[in-house]
Amino acid sequence: MKTQSELTDFYYKKLHPSLIRLEKSRKQLSHRIITVALIYSIVSLLTIFSLYKISYNLDIIIFGGFLYIAGGGLLYKYLIKDYTAAFKQSVIAPLISALDKNLIYSTDAHIPSHYFTSSKIFTTHPDKFEGNDYVKGKIDDVTLQFSDIHAQKKHKDSKGNTHYETLFQGLFIVADFHKHFKGTTVVLPDSAQTTFGTLIGHWLQSHNISRGELVKMDDVNFEKKFVVYANDQIEARYILSNALMQKLLEFQKRSEYPVSLSFVGGNIFLAIHYNKDLFEPSIFHSLLKYRIAMQYVNTLHLAVGIVEELKLNQKLWSKL
Amino acid sequence: MSTPFIVLIVLAIILVLMYNSLVAKKNQVQNIFASIDTQLKKRYDLVPNLVASLSKYMEHEKSILEDITKLRAEANKPNATVRDTIALDAKMSAALGSIMIAVENYPQLKANENVMHLQHSLNEIEEQISAARRAYNQAVTDYNNALEQIPTNFMANAMNYRQKQTFVIDESERKNVNVKELFN
Repeated sequence: MKTQSELTDFYYKKLHPSLIRLEKSRKQLSHRIITVALIYSIVSLLTIFSLYKISYNLDIIIFGGFLYIAGGGLLYKYLIKDYTAAFKQSVIAPLISALDKNLIYSTDAHIPSHYFTSSKIFTTHPDKFEGNDYVKGKIDDVTLQFSDIHAQKKHKDSKGNTHYETLFQGLFIVADFHKHFKGTTVVLPDSAQTTFGTLIGHWLQSHNISRGELVKMDDVNFEKKFVVYANDQIEARYILSNALMQKLLEFQKRSEYPVSLSFVGGNIFLAIHYNKDLFEPSIFHSLLKYRIAMQYVNTLHLAVGIVEELKLNQKLWSKL
Repeated sequence: MSTPFIVLIVLAIILVLMYNSLVAKKNQVQNIFASIDTQLKKRYDLVPNLVASLSKYMEHEKSILEDITKLRAEANKPNATVRDTIALDAKMSAALGSIMIAVENYPQLKANENVMHLQHSLNEIEEQISAARRAYNQAVTDYNNALEQIPTNFMANAMNYRQKQTFVIDESERKNVNVKELFN
């Protein structure tokens, strides 16, 4: 697999012609968006105002405001549709195949929802499950797949209005794990210990009924960053060897976002909580900017790199 | 209900909770120890086959192989205490570790499928034993902490609970140990 700097090189050298072409359409697009937004806002405001003048009903302003925001969102999506498709085809797709030839990429598909549920990272079942930018393939005989995921839970308030609460938004990765195991082991970011300190944190964690047994790990740094629940104390430690704990700490540091993971049914599941839609084109910043470029390169390298980084390719003999 | 009565009930509940948590901790230690024992037995079962396959080639390491056989015989004795098991495991891990390093010096052994198979099985069992040891140590630490911490220490004293020993885990030591010195 290419290193991160090789991939950055690839981005700036091989993709340069496409980036220049995209940059042109990006500039045109951003101008068009501003013009359309201005016209749309003026027309909407005038319409709402004139309707209000007829009846002097405040509900019109509230309702009109909602319509204005919703319509604006749809309009924005429509305007950037072609540019987004062109960007994914000429930037993201080549980046992925540069990382590994065996990976296939689909802009519209996503990880099937049953993986999300069976990972047991999330205890709530999502009512709305969306995603895009699906990547799948075999690296060193390890099946790997990941995609952008947005999972939401539907709520109804006392007035009967429905609204959606985000359970997870970010990158969801599924890969083969190289050791045999039967149970479930879930590793979550340690919020209780960070907020309440070790003593109360541990007490709260061990009384979390929605999870399995609390597993206290013997790596102090790991224990500070993560909390482990499992239904088998020994198996959890068999999976989370001292070496893997070290690697997960490094992975967490590199990802810069909270990471939850689990080991279920021979797979490792990783959920990186970016809280935003990934691999989307930047509209108001140049694609040639280093910071923008690195977002794409880092995220892809991080996801595809788990096979090597976590040594998932070093299968134990019994799994060969 | 009078206040002293309520205080008495609360006190009784606290005592019961303390008692139960101590018993749970003791049982956790015992349960995990039972799993270690199973894993260790699996490893001891590999020994006769391993010694038979290696002794044909390994002239210089004969004494280590003999010691391994002796250790296995000792481990199979009935009524071994936890302390004995822990001590035997340390010796066995060290001996097996050094014999596996010695295998590297014998190209004909490295080419032998049976030896490779045994080595892989041993590695896998070692990983499982290591996980079980770590789980055991955590359970013992929780148990020992309860024995020392207030207020469970009073209850533990009354129940006549004693501190338990943990496994010493030192992977690097296992690799560099001089086995001959161990048995002198």
